[in-house]
Amino acid sequence: MAAGAALGGRLLTTSTVMAAPGRTAAVAKSSAAATHPVKQVHLAGTDGWVGMPGDAPPDPPFFPDPLAPSPFNTYVFGFRDVTGMTSNLVAAQRGKAQISAPMMAFDEEDDIYLTLTNLGLAQRPDLFDGHTLHWHGFVNAIPLFDGVPELSLAVPIGRDLTYFYRPHDAGTYMYHCHFEDVEHVQMGMTGMVFVRPAQNRTPLHPGERYAYNDGDGSTAYDREFAFMITELWSAAHYRDAHIQVNDWTDYDPSFWLLNGRAYPDTTAPNGDPLSTAAGRLQYQPISSLIRCNAGDRVLLRMSNLGYQNHVMTVDNIDLTVVAKDAALLKGRDGTTNYLTSNAVEVGPGESRDAIFVAPGPGEYLLYDRKYSYLDNGGGAGYGGMMTKIVVGAPGTYPAQTAANA
Amino acid sequence: MKRLTIQRALALTAAALLVATPVLVRTQASAAAEMSEGVLCDTDPNQTFSLTARDGYISTPDGNSIYMWSYSNSKRGFQLPGPTLCVESGRQVTVILHNSLPEATSIVFPGQQGVKANGNPAQPQFDSGGSLTSLVQTAAATDGSVTYTFTAGSPGSYLYETGTDVDKQLQMGLYGALVVRPAGHPNQVNDRADSAFANGKEYVYLLSEVDPDVHLAVERNQPVDVNASKSRYFMINGRSMPDTLAPNNAPWLPGQPYGALVHIKPYDAVTNPLPATIHYLNAGSVNYPFHPHGSDERVINRDGHALQGGSGEDLSYLKYDLDVGPGQTLDVLMDWRDVEHWNATTNPIPTQLPAITDQLLVGSDTWFSESGYLGTKNAVPSNLTQNNECGEYYHIAHSHALEQATNYGAAFGGMMTVFRIDPPAGCVSQ
Repeated sequence: MAAGAALGGRLLTTSTVMAAPGRTAAVAKSSAAATHPVKQVHLAGTDGWVGMPGDAPPDPPFFPDPLAPSPFNTYVFGFRDVTGMTSNLVAAQRGKAQISAPMMAFDEEDDIYLTLTNLGLAQRPDLFDGHTLHWHGFVNAIPLFDGVPELSLAVPIGRDLTYFYRPHDAGTYMYHCHFEDVEHVQMGMTGMVFVRPAQNRTPLHPGERYAYNDGDGSTAYDREFAFMITELWSAAHYRDAHIQVNDWTDYDPSFWLLNGRAYPDTTAPNGDPLSTAAGRLQYQPISSLIRCNAGDRVLLRMSNLGYQNHVMTVDNIDLTVVAKDAALLKGRDGTTNYLTSNAVEVGPGESRDAIFVAPGPGEYLLYDRKYSYLDNGGGAGYGGMMTKIVVGAPGTYPAQTAANA
Repeated sequence: MKRLTIQRALALTAAALLVATPVLVRTQASAAAEMSEGVLCDTDPNQTFSLTARDGYISTPDGNSIYMWSYSNSKRGFQLPGPTLCVESGRQVTVILHNSLPEATSIVFPGQQGVKANGNPAQPQFDSGGSLTSLVQTAAATDGSVTYTFTAGSPGSYLYETGTDVDKQLQMGLYGALVVRPAGHPNQVNDRADSAFANGKEYVYLLSEVDPDVHLAVERNQPVDVNASKSRYFMINGRSMPDTLAPNNAPWLPGQPYGALVHIKPYDAVTNPLPATIHYLNAGSVNYPFHPHGSDERVINRDGHALQGGSGEDLSYLKYDLDVGPGQTLDVLMDWRDVEHWNATTNPIPTQLPAITDQLLVGSDTWFSESGYLGTKNAVPSNLTQNNECGEYYHIAHSHALEQATNYGAAFGGMMTVFRIDPPAGCVSQ
């Protein structure tokens, strides 16, 4: 399980990923590759349509967007996992963006070749926006692969660029497009990336997995769930679809999202963006439903690429924050400074890793303590940035095969 | 979708040609005379400073001119933010405030000890009806003055800011940075030896915001509704990107003397072992989640106090995003480590770098060297402005509440700057 896995939009498991053609380079380039396994991922940047909860009140003309094809209602930009696809199939993904972007996971010291193809925008063929990958929080980045077009490169429509990363530090990171980032990030080009620690190769106990190289097993976990925290401002999405311009300092979100979905969609199962079976959530494939057995150690990875601070809380369960911004809370002299709390604040651009031990069977809510973020478009009832922790009796759920499974 | 043209010459080359000078012994006179990088301290052997609250104008990169109130050194003209006062921990500090504004104003000194105003304990002021009029004793409108004294607190960075009609006066610009240095260790952030930073590599990032409508109303002597305020400009040291990159005392920014360009070389255990330090201060009303690309920063101080346990345990932590709340300060250590050491012959970058004709630029400026290799600079077409001098690296650093990374909503502006990383041997200009 410790092997690196690129969790695509289809939330591929480790074994599936490793078996997929093109995922893993067949030929090692040199002897150095023995310590740097080669991982290849192919992402495409484009636009598309997604569905916020349909019972949210209308906010004419912004929501639902009258241009949206049924069953969708909101225009987005996003990334798609096109690893292993033929060039014809890749081209066919134009106009089929997903939010959140594919979750990716790698091991420390992997050699990662990440190709980004810019498919252009189906709804806005007049725009010639570039796209980039910015691996947010990646220490030791060089500008060439940092994705800030003013300080490096951007990928024009119809072209691709292969980024190279060799992560040395385990933790929870994010990635997003940095081309006109205020717009492209809000429009949905945001995803999560984890780097798994070298300690997984030499576990303190057989089969154990860790969030960090903790040295003492204190970040061991049985299951992991990751949450991309964002907000969605319907007016901005409408204006992008309708050839209008935003004043971003008027920012005023309409929906508050976990992995691109608002409650109760957050609790729907994982989907496959290549399958229409998921209907309105087809292009929002990543579930936020937490399922675990009593006594499981559950790792929560939380990353915020919204523009607001969020305080995530859960009643009746204590959360122990072991890391902030992909850095274990441990001083230079080795002093551990984990923080046990029932409320975890995550600011824009920040991440948190928190571990809890699942209590007795039951259902628990994980939600943003700012109650005004717990509705959909200002409508009645609960919505927004909320999901469920479902705890079963020991043995209810088999071993987890992938994050958020 | 908005296209941006950077209109202003950035004078980065001029800044780079100046040799970095140590900042700690800089006098007020010399500070005003030079163009430079890093913190510009106001210092005084007796730690006595004379400040004047006065009005003036700042300019924004999109061509706006905004009426401000700010503190200045009484011997100098208007500046935003107020002078950076550098003092020594445990010693007495005297600040004489003169007021030339049309209403009473004051200064509060959060985190300092034994603060007095005209010899009396500093304390809230009430009118005859019992209503709070100021958090502290004031200097009267137009020509009043007040003398504050205090003992400089524990080493670290602090705000000093108005305590009178705070919503309005803080918005108008009455704030500044106070850097308290450990006694006997001017090149440390705090009393811990592991807080040492490289000589001259000290930076203050005083973060704030502006609602131009409030400023226009004050300028026109019209009523101000601060509750209806909507910030449109977000600044580091009173400047928005790209003005943040201009050197200290840039002549085209006469009222905004402080730059925000971090300029370092890669970490090297022998030749460059010490980190730089950045003092983050939030003088605004919302959180500023500041994200530097390419390196973590180690938070070693919060609100003027070292992060350590009762027995000196190190409780500092690494962050890739410094979320600074209103009134808070963070002192960090930062360096940049060239772990891969890409080299065109011995360790080439393993992917294909596209020709510039196969790239897409935003605007007509680039800071990219057209090479992935530190110290190598390749040509760009003549219609582009190439801000790269010698193949140095640039990493952006900006607020990740991305509406703050705009100038009145237009992207690539606002609370944003760059960290410049020169080749280990220095930048030999071509």
